[in-house]
Amino acid sequence: MTHKPNYLPERLALLSDLNAAQYVTEGLLNGKEDVPAIALSKIVEPLPYDGARAALAPVRELVDDAMCEYRDEKPTKADAWLAPRLHATLRLNRREAADRRLWNFLALGVAPDYVVWRFLPEPNGKEKSGEAPKVAYRRFRGAHYTQAFARLWWMAELFRNGSDYRPVARACAIQDMINTVLRLDVIDHRPTAQAMVRLLDRGTVTTGREVNALAGAVNASAATLMYDVVAPDVERDGRPVQEWVEAAETAGPVPRRMLPEGPDEEQAPEGSVEALADYFTELLVDAPVRGRPATEDIGD
Amino acid sequence: MKAYPYRRLAGPVSLRVTAVELKVPGESREPLDTKAFSVVEQVVALGGTGFDDWESARLKLSATIPSKATAPDSGWSDVSVVAVLTEKATNARTVVPLESTTESGREWTGFLDVWRADHRDRASLSVHVVARADGVPGRVIATAQNEWIVDLSAEAPRRQRELDVVIAGFREGPQWRRPFREVPWIVDTSGDVAAVHVNTDFEGLTDLLSGSGSGVEGLVRDLLLAQMCTDVWTAVFHAAVGDLEVEEDGTPLFPHDWRGEVLREMLPDVMPGRPLEEALGEVHRRRTEAAGWIDLQPRIHFAATRRAEMPKALSTTIRGLDRLQQRADA
Amino acid sequence: MHGGEDFGPWLARQLRMAGRTQTELADSVGVTRAAVSAWITGRARPRDETIRKIATALGTDASTVRNRTTDTLAGRPVAWYHRPAPRDGGREFGNAAAFAFEADVSVLAREATQNSLDERLDNGQPVRVRYTLDELSGETLAAFREAINWKELASHYEAAASRTRKVGQVISAGLRDMYTRDRLVLLRVDDYNAHGLTGDDYEDGRFAAVVRRQLDSRKTARDAGGSYGLGKATLWATSRLGLVLINSTLSEPHEGRRERRLIGRLDLPWREVDGKAWAGPAWFGRPDPHVDGDDVARSWWADEETVDRLRLTRESGEPGTSFLIVGAHDVASLADAASPEGEGVDDDSVQRMHQRLVEALGRNFWAAMTSGGGRRPLLEASVRSFRNGKEVIPERHVDPDVEQPARTRAFRAFLEGATVDRLTEAGQVAMTTVPLRVPGREGFGSGGEHRAVLLVTDGDDLDGEPYALTMMRGNRMTVRVGPVPNLPIGTNPFQAVLLAGRAAGDAAPFADEAEAFLRASEPPEHDKWGQTDELRTCYSPSAYRRIAALTREANKAVRDLVAVPQEKRRAGTERLRKRLAVGGRRTGRPAASGGTGIPTLDELNAHIGTDGAWCVTAEVRIPQGGDSRPLVPVAKLDVRSGPKPVLAWAELVALHNCELIDGALHFTSGARRATFSGVTDVSTHPVRTTLSGLVVELRTGKEDKA
Repeated sequence: MTHKPNYLPERLALLSDLNAAQYVTEGLLNGKEDVPAIALSKIVEPLPYDGARAALAPVRELVDDAMCEYRDEKPTKADAWLAPRLHATLRLNRREAADRRLWNFLALGVAPDYVVWRFLPEPNGKEKSGEAPKVAYRRFRGAHYTQAFARLWWMAELFRNGSDYRPVARACAIQDMINTVLRLDVIDHRPTAQAMVRLLDRGTVTTGREVNALAGAVNASAATLMYDVVAPDVERDGRPVQEWVEAAETAGPVPRRMLPEGPDEEQAPEGSVEALADYFTELLVDAPVRGRPATEDIGD
Repeated sequence: MKAYPYRRLAGPVSLRVTAVELKVPGESREPLDTKAFSVVEQVVALGGTGFDDWESARLKLSATIPSKATAPDSGWSDVSVVAVLTEKATNARTVVPLESTTESGREWTGFLDVWRADHRDRASLSVHVVARADGVPGRVIATAQNEWIVDLSAEAPRRQRELDVVIAGFREGPQWRRPFREVPWIVDTSGDVAAVHVNTDFEGLTDLLSGSGSGVEGLVRDLLLAQMCTDVWTAVFHAAVGDLEVEEDGTPLFPHDWRGEVLREMLPDVMPGRPLEEALGEVHRRRTEAAGWIDLQPRIHFAATRRAEMPKALSTTIRGLDRLQQRADA
Repeated sequence: MHGGEDFGPWLARQLRMAGRTQTELADSVGVTRAAVSAWITGRARPRDETIRKIATALGTDASTVRNRTTDTLAGRPVAWYHRPAPRDGGREFGNAAAFAFEADVSVLAREATQNSLDERLDNGQPVRVRYTLDELSGETLAAFREAINWKELASHYEAAASRTRKVGQVISAGLRDMYTRDRLVLLRVDDYNAHGLTGDDYEDGRFAAVVRRQLDSRKTARDAGGSYGLGKATLWATSRLGLVLINSTLSEPHEGRRERRLIGRLDLPWREVDGKAWAGPAWFGRPDPHVDGDDVARSWWADEETVDRLRLTRESGEPGTSFLIVGAHDVASLADAASPEGEGVDDDSVQRMHQRLVEALGRNFWAAMTSGGGRRPLLEASVRSFRNGKEVIPERHVDPDVEQPARTRAFRAFLEGATVDRLTEAGQVAMTTVPLRVPGREGFGSGGEHRAVLLVTDGDDLDGEPYALTMMRGNRMTVRVGPVPNLPIGTNPFQAVLLAGRAAGDAAPFADEAEAFLRASEPPEHDKWGQTDELRTCYSPSAYRRIAALTREANKAVRDLVAVPQEKRRAGTERLRKRLAVGGRRTGRPAASGGTGIPTLDELNAHIGTDGAWCVTAEVRIPQGGDSRPLVPVAKLDVRSGPKPVLAWAELVALHNCELIDGALHFTSGARRATFSGVTDVSTHPVRTTLSGLVVELRTGKEDKA
């Protein structure tokens, strides 16, 4: 298996797509090779910010703890634990999080071993002869909903309810929420994201199959319906995130047992969440649950 | 074409930014000159404001909708108009209601705060008319024809953006460039914006490119520029189709950034006579299924040549050389 | 004695018109010449009995002499008096000044209104200008012809129309319109609160300037654009019969009277009538015995009935002038309408002229019509249209806020002191000043630096072309509108106004000097500032360059205020970067050669059936060569983002110009339109049908070529 890098710089850094590409080798994807850490450290670019948020060690420790905690379980289980804690450790604003170079660096320069651990499929006998199971390229370098770390951070960002990470943990427990729902534009509206989690809470939706049906119905209905109007969110205020980012200097390591606390933003209005949850429930009554088999608990 | 299970509002819906104010923490809002936005291009440029540490920008908005929307016999009720600011790169979505300011119900105004930390590059601003239709609340009955762009870094409010040009010696600088020290230029398609790197170690190249000489020198320069552009468009097209996000059903998606723009501009020449989405799907299929990809290369070359206006440059050069020849003979 | 004029001047005029001396009258009445002289100088008054004798001697009744509200009919009557051709045989082909202008009511509105503006009484009140179009026919037309003694004119018109010159053709078309179509369009231009045509019939004065001297510009007002200069010729040019009647109420009495001073003037080319040669103008009035050659007529003081019959009644006793253009036409609007009848006038020409008058008044005089800062406007203008005296288009007061909203907003903000230094919000008006270095008049020092006021505000569609700079001076008439050059792409549409000279306000330095300088640089057309003879003589041959400098400074100041920034390019990369632009193309380029047109959906009719399925009927437009490509209709469900789920067809029917083979539409060869219908399979709908939209597309089926 791919190992933890033998050299870890003190600071996080940025790794451009072009430079990242040459290190995502076949051997790495197969989990058979390591990333040459020192060579990599020479081609990275510095972060645009400094201070506690730029420290590499807390991130690496977090990943180590995740792999340790879930060493006897399916790696997918780690997502619900890691997502809120990664989010609270990095303390990024969205502008920073939209920089793919940071995620490239985390996947190759900080924890390629985690990516392999989490995404290398177990041999299931269906591989073509001579082909070993391998990690999908997009787990190292890819869109926000496929890249190993970006997907966790964005799950936490889009499903947290103000400072409350519980909905994040709830959502990450079903892989289809990450694989299907995270890529939908509709969840950029906070009450919509919360309403979908609310259906998990209520037990209205339990399986991955049902999540996919729900996602399809919500997405189709949003083509004509403006959820933002029927279930308004509070006015956007960017200051709590800014203050939370600044508070990184005095914050300690994120708690391992309890959930951390996110930015002190106003929560999505309960009335809006409830109204949408009720509406989505109605949608689900009509929506035939079909499509490909549920992907729940399947690594990829 | 689309059909809806309820009546939609016909007629133009338009959106206009009427003022922009910047907020620097601890200070009161500073109005920007109206030069910071263009109602012609429909772009707000927040990069050249002279304020480095601004935190948010308040856009004052004015929307005009057909008066039919609020006519008593329209069949719609609870009509509202909302402005929506989105950016795919940051999954940001800000929605603000506008208020009706005239009795006719045509003019709606309001403001929207753009938080800098929520955006990376370019956000889109659109306006929708929402109403209760056939008893269903919240239906979108109309959407503005054009979206505004809020550009966080541009100094000039232009829709069009330019690829980057880096002039540097290849012997120095980033590792990846050094192996190319013998070539005059190289295209890097990996960044936020594709860049052409021009090698100053290639003697005489930059003089030729920036020279003002006419005659043979001018002709060669124009031809060289066209050649470089052909290279660039070929490279960026390949880069764009080579890195497509694909939906679960295999449908490739248009990228949000410059790659998407490149594809939209070049696909009609690569796959003539096809709707864009279908053309993209076909190109993607051929590239990934290893069949027909080779056949496509001449078409990509054709599209790049056309985009670079190579035929025009070449015939100008040939005619120019003829003229010079005649003058020399005379 | 109500309203009548003093006895002395009245009697003197009656004698003059009758061609009689004081001695002759004294003999007839039986008094001494000294007594008559005493009456005329106002030293004495005749007794009642003598008045009766005077009446008899003048061939009128006693009350006319007592009231003196009208002239006696002594001497030759009001009639047309034509000027005989000069004996040297010179042939004057019509009024040169009049025919220098193409008949264009827009030009008329500009020139005539400017004259009114210049003739405004300086009392803080606006001059009111009203344009009235009246189309006459039938009895009304007959009565009007009677009133203007048409019989006397007919032979002259026929002679003039028979000539082949351009003037002859115009007249001939006018006559044809009147005779065969029984219509005649009158255009009346009234002003109120103006000076009126004061002064003697022949000596220097407003009257003579208008009626006698066609090219004379008599300037009184300091800011005058050119009182009754060349512009008055447009009055005659607008008449296809070359005929204008005038009724003026004077602001200062002439011959002791003010109201109903009438005269008509006709401009015809050289013609031969009854074996006699005639040239140039004819006047409708009283013959004047004091002028050599008794074929010159002078104005007369008409009674109310005559004024009414001539359709010249003014609405009040307020001073000002009414010009009645007989046979008004508008060549320019005919050109606009591209009338198939060619020279004939369209039935709706009155409507069109009406509209063009409103537009021209708005375009040229929006500033003069703008009030603000507690000041009234200089001008109020309106247009109305009648048919046989009955209103057909109600009077429309030209509102600068409607005609030129952006420019008017800019000017009002200036008047009210509501301008800003820089534009930060739509609707604001920015103000700055630009220098005009006024040269010294020859021998009068060195002039000085005037600061002209520059206003900029965002443009409105109604103002016409955006990105324009409008220039004016004290009379607030638009002199020139020009584009501001060198603006970067993306600059917001704006209107800029340059107020120079006295328009720049009381505080502006050297305003009077600048005003005089600019007036000298204005040609008779008042449509630009530049080199003129006056400028050359009064200032210097190079003085006009100061105006170019002013324009340059103004354009630069506009750019400083509104030009959007341009992306900075590092030197050396400019050429390349310019060619490497992506995005911003609103419309796609046409497909390159090699791409054949493919059929597209043109019309989609869809409704939800009782079972919840979508029922669609669609029309396909097939371009040339597109009929050879089979296409597959695909129905999809609309979504907010991501791929759209495909719905299966339960039924698909080719209706017209196509047939269905394996789910693909094959089009009939040569067909340009085809229709098909379909019903979706409800069991394949992932959500309830009413939740979302339906998308129908045409897909190319199997790859037909690489």
